Amino acid sequence: MNNRWKDYDSSSFFDELLTSNGNPRMAARGIVKFLKDLSEDELDERRAAAELAIRDMGISFTVYTEGGNIDRNWPFDIIPRAITAKEWSRVSTGLKQRSRALNCFIDDVYNKQKILAAGIVPADVVLESTNYKPQCKGVSPRYGAWAHICGSDLVRNKDGKFYVLEDNLRVPSGVSYMLENRELTKRVLPELFENYSILPVDDYPSQLYKTLASLSPQLKRKPCIAVLTPGIYNSAYFEHAFLAQSMGAELVEGSDLFTDDDDCVYMRTVDGPVKMDVIYRRIDEDFIDPEAFRADSMLGVPGIMRAWKAGNLAIANAPGSGVADDKVIYAFVPDMIRYYLKEEPIMESVKTYLCMIDKDREYVLANLDKLVVKPANESGGYGMMVGPHATPEKRQEFAELIEKNPRNYIAQPTLSLSTAPTYIDHSVEGRHLDLRPFILQGKDVWVTPGGLTRVAMVKGSLVVNSSQGGGSKDTWIVESNK
Amino acid sequence: MTMLSSVAERLYWMARYLERAENTARLTSAYTHMILDLPRGAELGWQLLVDIFDADPVFRKHYRAFNEQNVLRFLIADMNNFSSINYAIKAARENVRTTRDVLPEETWEHVNELHIHCKDVAEKSIGRRHRYEFLEQIISRCQMINGLLMTTLCRDHPHRFIKLGHLLERADMTTRIIDVGAGAILGRENNNPAADTLLWSSMLQSMSAISAYRKKIGPIVEPDSAVNFIFKENTLPRTVTYCLNGILEELEPLKNNETAREIAESALRKLNRFDAQKMTFEQMHHFIDQFQLYIGDLDESITNTWFLPMPTTSSE
Repeated sequence: MNNRWKDYDSSSFFDELLTSNGNPRMAARGIVKFLKDLSEDELDERRAAAELAIRDMGISFTVYTEGGNIDRNWPFDIIPRAITAKEWSRVSTGLKQRSRALNCFIDDVYNKQKILAAGIVPADVVLESTNYKPQCKGVSPRYGAWAHICGSDLVRNKDGKFYVLEDNLRVPSGVSYMLENRELTKRVLPELFENYSILPVDDYPSQLYKTLASLSPQLKRKPCIAVLTPGIYNSAYFEHAFLAQSMGAELVEGSDLFTDDDDCVYMRTVDGPVKMDVIYRRIDEDFIDPEAFRADSMLGVPGIMRAWKAGNLAIANAPGSGVADDKVIYAFVPDMIRYYLKEEPIMESVKTYLCMIDKDREYVLANLDKLVVKPANESGGYGMMVGPHATPEKRQEFAELIEKNPRNYIAQPTLSLSTAPTYIDHSVEGRHLDLRPFILQGKDVWVTPGGLTRVAMVKGSLVVNSSQGGGSKDTWIVESNK
Repeated sequence: MTMLSSVAERLYWMARYLERAENTARLTSAYTHMILDLPRGAELGWQLLVDIFDADPVFRKHYRAFNEQNVLRFLIADMNNFSSINYAIKAARENVRTTRDVLPEETWEHVNELHIHCKDVAEKSIGRRHRYEFLEQIISRCQMINGLLMTTLCRDHPHRFIKLGHLLERADMTTRIIDVGAGAILGRENNNPAADTLLWSSMLQSMSAISAYRKKIGPIVEPDSAVNFIFKENTLPRTVTYCLNGILEELEPLKNNETAREIAESALRKLNRFDAQKMTFEQMHHFIDQFQLYIGDLDESITNTWFLPMPTTSSE
């Protein structure tokens, strides 16, 4: 036992591994004991081993970055984060419920629009949103599933409860990091796995395959599935290739596909055209079909929307899914759950003030120093303001932005994000983190055991996005072995 | 299991570029070796190496004199020259980068390392002192990658297009070598049999064919029989006949192979009738010119049939 943890503060925030009086939480006992028994040199050695492994595995990352836009090595913290299986089971049920409701909503919005007629979600908010795509009206994908792959961002607040921060329904990424992180921990801290029963994560590619295959418009033969990538210069290309390969699917770019007069999409192969059944698109919907969306797109497949609408091709996520991925719509998700599923929401969501509503806007403008203000439809942590950390000038700037375009802004109370012990330089310090589980919805709904934990590596920072200096941790769902 | 046209095309070009890098290294190595042996006044200059690649215009754009330093820089390190070792390795790597999923896992690592090595040392390996070692490295690393592919790849589409790329590039290079070898002798005014022997020996050397030649034909290398040997000996993997037979074999299982097969078959028939002993060097040069067209047609036919966007009924 050494003194490295003596000064560790586990009482200012909810800590993932330690209780407020500094004792390990149940799921973390083994981790904390093991780490405390290691000398500083041993801990450094493990970290060096992780860095080496990242470089080895990361060969693939470095080479794709010559274009210049991705971090070469992602910062990985060797100390895992542990959550009990019991707690996770509740979260997982809550996420499934949420995903079902969101899909009901998308399906409803593009068809009968019952929820708008009932006045539960204001019609103009939906129909005037840039995320609402009139091109998708009247389409009914199988099982009513639109957002087949959803990455929800969760944070744990001071009260120890998980809150959903947002639902990423367009082309969420990061699942390959989740898988790599587990690989790394197995290499670097193999001893830890002996005394633990940790739910495996490497099932993801087969679950993804099952989900995609269940969408196939034909059932006579094995479905032809492809991952559609914008190409090698996309920062997530590695993930696209990885997923295609681990599913045994084709990795295609727009130019590999064409739509014929029969409104079917074909893949160009050396044996001639091969009919596609399911496309997992990793291209933003605005770029997938120059006939239907942006005419200047070079990445897409002309006519792919025709094929999709004719029911000859499944696209995951379905175009138009982004309509529910909007921070204003977010405020209505609990109501959607009650409306469509006749259930009470299981997952907490964050109190959200909509600046378009006069009463809310007045409150927001009066409390800018306490709130987090976000644009309704940016992702990646861009264009937001964390009130308590912002300068008066910044707050003034946001006040003007809100007045000018209230529909485009929402505000939420500043959450007190949980921390976890993170190995920084030669000491263990608390860092804030979030969690992105992935929810798959086809014939069935499935949730990853855990997900990708992102860590704000800078002391005190709440920004976990990898594009802004975030790191990551392996996430363990631990079954109690007693 | 079928295969994307774009992937087939990248594999084909990966193979062509790897083969090209190796061939350029082989030729450069054999040629510099020979130059050292040549008596003064034999008039075999460095320009010959540039001629082999039909690269005269590109060369002249960037250099003035056909001296050793310039020509070797052009062949080893110059990124303006699509046949330079440096360029070919980089191009091979670009193609592997996007086809990693159909290749044995180690392929990418090896090709990437080769690329890094080349980038680091090509510039320093132009001078005589390090040149030989560098060229040997390139040859053996290319062979290692080919060996890896040949011993681990499934015998289906990926293997097929890789093999087509290798064989076509090799056939192309071998004909170029003969053409220029013949041209060099033709171009000189006073006959110099000693230099001829040296030249043709080094050409055979560049194809690892000298000992096979000695065993099959005899110890003395004569231009005519050397040309016949390099063209027609069907047991030796670097001869034109061997390459064409291999191409036919790989074309066999592919759909829509009629045009490509027809071209390869008529090239073979033409080759069967060829006999260097009955020809003047002018006639030989003419023959090779025509033969090069077959190789170009073959490449075009492979490209049109299997790589290019499929003709569809809709207007794209």
